[in-house]
Amino acid sequence: MASVTFKNVYKKFGEFVAVADFNVEIRDKEFLVLLGPSGCGKTTTMRMIAGLEEATSGDIYIGTDRVNGLLPKYRDVAMVFQSYALYPHLTVEDNIGYPLKIRKIPLAERKRRIAEVARRVELDSMLSRLPKELSGGQRQRVALARAIVRTPRVFLMDEPLSNLDAKLRTQMRAELKHLQHELQVTTIYVTHDQIEAMTLAHRVAVMNKGMIEQLGTPREIYNNPRTLFVAGFIGSPPMNLIPGEVRDGVFSSGGLQVAGVGRANISPAVLGVRPEDAHAVEVDEADVNLVAPIFAVELTGENTLVSVRLGGQLMTLRADKNFAGQIDQQIGVKIATDRVFLFDGETQDRADF
Amino acid sequence: METRPRYRTIGGILPMLAYLAMALALFITVFPVYWLAQNSIKLDIDIFAVPPVWFNFSPTLKHYEAAFIGQPFLIYAFNSLIIAMATTIVSLIFGTMAGYALARFQYPGRWRYQISFWMLSTRMMPPIVTIIPLFIFFNFFNLLNTKFAVVVAYTAFNLPFVTWMMKSYFQDLPPELEEAAMVDGDTRWGAFLRIALPLARPGIAATAIFSLILSWNEFLLALILTQTERSMTLPVGISGRVTQYTTHWGEISAAGFLASVPIIVFALLVQKHLVRGLSLGAVKG
Repeated sequence: MASVTFKNVYKKFGEFVAVADFNVEIRDKEFLVLLGPSGCGKTTTMRMIAGLEEATSGDIYIGTDRVNGLLPKYRDVAMVFQSYALYPHLTVEDNIGYPLKIRKIPLAERKRRIAEVARRVELDSMLSRLPKELSGGQRQRVALARAIVRTPRVFLMDEPLSNLDAKLRTQMRAELKHLQHELQVTTIYVTHDQIEAMTLAHRVAVMNKGMIEQLGTPREIYNNPRTLFVAGFIGSPPMNLIPGEVRDGVFSSGGLQVAGVGRANISPAVLGVRPEDAHAVEVDEADVNLVAPIFAVELTGENTLVSVRLGGQLMTLRADKNFAGQIDQQIGVKIATDRVFLFDGETQDRADF
Repeated sequence: METRPRYRTIGGILPMLAYLAMALALFITVFPVYWLAQNSIKLDIDIFAVPPVWFNFSPTLKHYEAAFIGQPFLIYAFNSLIIAMATTIVSLIFGTMAGYALARFQYPGRWRYQISFWMLSTRMMPPIVTIIPLFIFFNFFNLLNTKFAVVVAYTAFNLPFVTWMMKSYFQDLPPELEEAAMVDGDTRWGAFLRIALPLARPGIAATAIFSLILSWNEFLLALILTQTERSMTLPVGISGRVTQYTTHWGEISAAGFLASVPIIVFALLVQKHLVRGLSLGAVKG
């Protein structure tokens, strides 16, 4: 059990900068999620902790040990790969027992611990099977068992759920969260799925182009995105990001007018509105921010997503599940002005602090 | 009006043509072997009979007796076996490691390509070009007419192929497997031995057959490097039965037929490893 610290870490592949000036301290027993689109450097960051990639410059610490240049076997970390990376020629038992065998743990002890973790991930009846005889979910659990069969200082998980079907993914998510709580091992988890990040993490580091855009608890990141990128990445359906300008404290874009957004004049500006903070109302209601025709109505079950035309783009609102509007019908849109986010269109940073 | 068939048909002319083509291919490959085998048990008078006697001849083992008791073909076969096996083992040991290194390690700039290409370039000249230097070289070290010299020469010629074949097999294996092994506490060497090597077994089998056949059948280098009974290989020995006054077709057939048997046996032994797909199921669901 240990913290993981990055100090001014850079990773370059030739001319390409994969990770730039990375500074973060992952606390002992923390569940940190690295979240970002593909190619943002999150997997590279994780591979640097495992020792599968070397930092071009800067220092990486596990606990108090500087691990730059240290071979993976001496780092005492366990990793679950996106592809699971099960050894195809070994049985489930030998797959799980591999880290113990390498450490020359006596056979009896090895058997005992394999049986224990196998029971925990419900694979005890599959020990003599080969990976190719397992389903995707079972393979995923073998990979997990191989990681938890010893108690490493750090768990690394590289999109471990992305190859599972939606139902199994939700179930495994909860199991992972419970397991991490139970084992109390520092965990670094890479994903591009913002729901996984929100649900699993103690803290989320949102990454873009090799840099951390924002580091904070899921709540902080959701309620207070610091940049346009974070705002657009977190939330489902995503936040509406409406380009326009602010004059005398009034944001306007096409037919949309939102007063009281703070700073006097910003041009260009981007207004961020979460679908749940925009409401569909009658056209003639007082103080509507926008009147527009309905583009589409999508019932999700628990509510209805209504999109309306706004200039060249669409704006999504979350309405009640009994919403009865029809396509092309004019509706009013009312925005909770105390819950909107204003971004500077040029720097992409928040402008309403 | 639609005239093309809208449903799959079973039978018909096309499968029959396919079988016909297969039968033809089988005939072309098997007939020489059959011809060799039956010549080896025919009397000289039947070998040269016109029209050929296909079935109605009295079989004899006298050519086998002449080749393996009268002539030292048993010793040649033994030499061939030792040389082919030693060459294959040595080439595989070095070629597998070299192939792995070329498949996995990082090289500055274009060195991966340069090194691979340089290895293959040693095979770009006709082997006969190297005969005189090799002869002088082995003569200098007093190694002419030794099995050792032939093994050294064959290994030098086989190694680029073995390296390239193994390189491509290792490149087909997902690197995460070895990475997982290393994170699990293994060294690179351990990951190679315990993970990559077992998974490359089909590749090793294919490469071994390839190397074995190459060194078993090789003629030119062996002809120049071996002149004595204790070093000469089967192909050189067989060619020696074409003499100034007569060609001993019966003995050539007998020795030639038996020479092809070890390769067939070996191919049968390793063929199950030739089936790819062991690495299926390693990655993804």
